Amino acid sequence: METTEKSLRRTLDRLFVPLTVGPTLIWIAAIIVYPTLKLLWSSLFWENPLTRESEFVGLRNFKRLLLDPSGTLGMLNPSFIAFTKNTIIYVGCSVTFSFLLGLGIAILLNKDLKGRGWFRTAVIVPWILPYVMSGLMWRWMFEAKNGAINGLLVQTGLLSEKIAFLSDGTLAMMALIIADIWVFTPFIVIILLAGLQNVPEQLYDAAEVDGASRWSRFRNVTYPFLKPSILVALTIRIIFDIRALDLVWVMTKGGPGKSTEVWASWLYRTSMEFQRTGEGAALGVIMLAVTFAIVAILYSVFGGTPYDS
Amino acid sequence: MSTKDSNFSRVATRLGLNTDDVWPSVVRERLLAYGLLLLYVVVIWFPIYYIFITSLKTQSEVLTLPITFFPQEPTAQNYVDIFRNRPFEAYTINSLIVATTTTVICVTLGTMTGYTFSRHDFLGNKALLLSIVAARMIPPIALIVPFFQIMSSPPLIGGLTGNLTDTRVALILTYTFFNLPFAVWIMKNYFDGVPTSLDEQAKVDGCSTWEAFVKIILPVAKPGIAATAILAFIFSWNEFIFALVLTRSEASQTLPIAVSLFVADDFVDWSHLAAGGMIAALPGILFGLFFQRYIVSGLTQGAVKE
Repeated sequence: METTEKSLRRTLDRLFVPLTVGPTLIWIAAIIVYPTLKLLWSSLFWENPLTRESEFVGLRNFKRLLLDPSGTLGMLNPSFIAFTKNTIIYVGCSVTFSFLLGLGIAILLNKDLKGRGWFRTAVIVPWILPYVMSGLMWRWMFEAKNGAINGLLVQTGLLSEKIAFLSDGTLAMMALIIADIWVFTPFIVIILLAGLQNVPEQLYDAAEVDGASRWSRFRNVTYPFLKPSILVALTIRIIFDIRALDLVWVMTKGGPGKSTEVWASWLYRTSMEFQRTGEGAALGVIMLAVTFAIVAILYSVFGGTPYDS
Repeated sequence: MSTKDSNFSRVATRLGLNTDDVWPSVVRERLLAYGLLLLYVVVIWFPIYYIFITSLKTQSEVLTLPITFFPQEPTAQNYVDIFRNRPFEAYTINSLIVATTTTVICVTLGTMTGYTFSRHDFLGNKALLLSIVAARMIPPIALIVPFFQIMSSPPLIGGLTGNLTDTRVALILTYTFFNLPFAVWIMKNYFDGVPTSLDEQAKVDGCSTWEAFVKIILPVAKPGIAATAILAFIFSWNEFIFALVLTRSEASQTLPIAVSLFVADDFVDWSHLAAGGMIAALPGILFGLFFQRYIVSGLTQGAVKE
């Protein structure tokens, strides 16, 4: 009895690695690798939305997305240019402003203040709420007639008449960016705060003794230690913003007109509303490639993996 | 007084300044920091406050001008309505089942795999870990087409009948796609911080590899597991796009979808939407208030540590 139990134990121990890693790998293969391969495969087909029959079309889906439909040689598709521009404005503005705001808040929270934990809790909440709820909440805030923002501005006399924020292309984009900043600044705060806590206290004291100015203290003491966190915060923020559809979908649906249509909403519309799954998949492939390219560029520019030094 | 203050006076003395001259500037700086933080908190909480008071307003007050910033006759009617007139019970149960099951799967698999990646060198472990990191980078939205196709086609494996659209299973499978790689990553980083001497001592004491893992390491890893579980739960609870694509009815629709259903093409039922939104937001607010520490540690383990 004893020996069988022992040999069973030994066998189980020998199987430790396959038994702990195996299920995850099988799961990941089924739920990530297979869909990703299917994405690449689907991007090469044209599927009839009614009959579900599909036909191999090679790279024609990519051509339709990227090139001018009128067939002018070498010209890009105007929709592609417009939606790419929207995506860049949306991602660029919200990442920049939420980064600067988040950095400021992180620096304040890093001070040795009483009630710091309480502040941190209060600051974190917007990020944990469902994005749909946040999006609709902001849509309600920006509402033309009964929205709180118009209410505050008009009822306090700062504005003479109400503005239909979400009916104007530029203002709608601004509203989206504000909502996005509201949602994602806490993420920046958390990541940068973790980085700030790695700066050795003595370095600040030394810098203070040297009479370094506030800016030069930041530049020479804080920044080098913060750089890895900045890289991570920016990378995750950018790739997350390119893919995130929730806010755009519930606030503007890409409108008015196509003024807030971004890649993510374009992908959704193409594949789900217009049922052009092949084109949707092709756009998915492009987003996948762009995401990996951005990660590669950011890491090669900032160099090395964080905490190497 | 904290060490920082005494440091400050030490530095000040060394600089030949009278400490009395320095203190007011320290006080002023702190007041400014408090003021700015307070202002920020008030501004970012205002929208949440506004949706909260909207959920307590009568439907007519919501549409009355000028806008009121305190509900005139606060009422819980909107909350009663959404459970009575809409299947909010079903939505809530769907959300709970989907988020909990996803969390259990991801935490179980993530903990085991994370531990092995942290402790064992095995063939191809670096490549496998790298591919798990890469999997985290895949934009979920890029995969809506294949997920939709997979879930709406007849199953490959015999025995199951029909397809998976409009089932909670479809959502659970999908949500593990973005949570499992994240869970593996957080747990691997967490175990990296647990001293290997613990495992070694357990072995010396006669534990098998499994016993050492279950009896010695898992109890130590509780905070990491909590962080992973909370984040996986929040991510699955909040998810919207895949639920939008893969669900049709109250058989599988979750709260984020339920909230979006208050929006018709040209009309939004704001007071009821606000009530539904508050219910959907509740776990987030509660987790934020009581488990903020775990959220922060999970995020930094999962994001910063590379």
